[in-house]
Amino acid sequence: MLKIYFGDMEEAIYNTSDYFDVVYEDAWITSTFAKAVIKDIDKSEVLSSHCIESPVLGQIPPVSLAGGTKTLLLMYFEPENIFNASTCGDNCAKWILEIAQIKDVTINLRHIMDFGREKPFGVEVMVLNSCQTVRDMSELLPQASRFLRENADEGCL
Amino acid sequence: MKGAYRISVSTKRIKYDFTINRNITIIQGDSGTGKTTLVGLIRRFYEQGSKSGVKLECDRVCMPLGGRDWYKLLDGVHDTIVFIDEGNAFVKSNDFARAAKASDNYYVIVTREALGSLPISVNEIYGIRSNGKMAENVPVYNSMYRLYGEFAHSTEINPTLVITEDSNAGHDFFSEVCAPLGIACISAHGRDKITDYIYSRPGDAVLIIADGAAYGSKMRETCEYLKEFSNYVLYLPESFEWLLLASGILKERGLKDILKSPCKYIESSEFFSWERFFTHLLEKLTEETPVTTRYNKQGRLPPFFRRRGNIDKVLGQIPSIKFKDNSV
Repeated sequence: MLKIYFGDMEEAIYNTSDYFDVVYEDAWITSTFAKAVIKDIDKSEVLSSHCIESPVLGQIPPVSLAGGTKTLLLMYFEPENIFNASTCGDNCAKWILEIAQIKDVTINLRHIMDFGREKPFGVEVMVLNSCQTVRDMSELLPQASRFLRENADEGCL
Repeated sequence: MKGAYRISVSTKRIKYDFTINRNITIIQGDSGTGKTTLVGLIRRFYEQGSKSGVKLECDRVCMPLGGRDWYKLLDGVHDTIVFIDEGNAFVKSNDFARAAKASDNYYVIVTREALGSLPISVNEIYGIRSNGKMAENVPVYNSMYRLYGEFAHSTEINPTLVITEDSNAGHDFFSEVCAPLGIACISAHGRDKITDYIYSRPGDAVLIIADGAAYGSKMRETCEYLKEFSNYVLYLPESFEWLLLASGILKERGLKDILKSPCKYIESSEFFSWERFFTHLLEKLTEETPVTTRYNKQGRLPPFFRRRGNIDKVLGQIPSIKFKDNSV
């Protein structure tokens, strides 16, 4: 299940890149999930837990991964924490939905992310500001729009 | 600071080449496109100059800014292009907006958040695109592209409903155009409320007119709505005042040059947004004229601008919008 809180959220970890640099574990980088995400987002190959082959930057350490990649790995490996998912571009949206299919995760969004319009989300998505479940972007959009503007919370928190 | 500045940053592996045109520039887009890498290179060069291994060419100092003491670091900084990476929450604060407004710097901000306190132009929101590696031992070349370029100039439409951001002169003008043709023209009373008016309106062709010079913070949200409803079209001139100035109604020496390259004339410390500059310019140009021509942003549209000939000149600036076809 994916829970989304729109707007400023005190308990969310805002600077996910800095946080990742401190807390990531070697085993995260060599996991099947991380390899797939790094291949997709960074267009890079994991060589070892300390080394990733980037077609642009050469061999880089995990701290040089894209901000969106770092946030996805944090969501996957620390689902008990809430992360600022506005560090993720739209190309991360499918991965967020995929994580939510196997883990309960809560994310904080400070912009409107496009989760895709071709089909329903395929996973239960709840807007925490209203405590309402949404099935697709057409249902998510008015809520995102409203709560980002008002920064209101009338729901589950 | 005024003017446009080309910035070229490169290493042996990667090169960025782009131009900054006004005081606030936003970089966003997909993850993994090199936004943080760009700010990282700016940081390395700022700290160690050419000894960093980074090559940077720009007519102004390029400086990174971040951290909780950002306001101290900004103190005393002038005529500088300031780069702020993602993860700096202060960019959304009123304190930062005040500091930016009071300064003569340009700011390049990496963020996906809507920064409503800053006058962000729809034309100055960019993504980074890699043009690939041209040859061995040549850096990968990255350029910036306008994320909302296609929305800044409207697509063709014969509107049956017009929604204006403006509730004063701009709304008066388009009401004057629409009324004889039986087209409804409503005001959203400000940019923040425009998306409230976007919902299913089967059978309508809806034209939304807003000031592009400051609509950037609403662009993401608006575009997401427009993905839902294909019968809406956005028209985003710099501002309504820009539209009047560009129409040729007012004959003023030097006006064409200003409109051709506004960045050469707009001092950012004096005008936080180009919208304010064009309003000031129009008010200035008409202040010595009869009251029937004198323009005031907060007032009603003067009769001079409602004359049929002048309306036609303004509409001539937006040929993609066909108001006349509706009268048939």
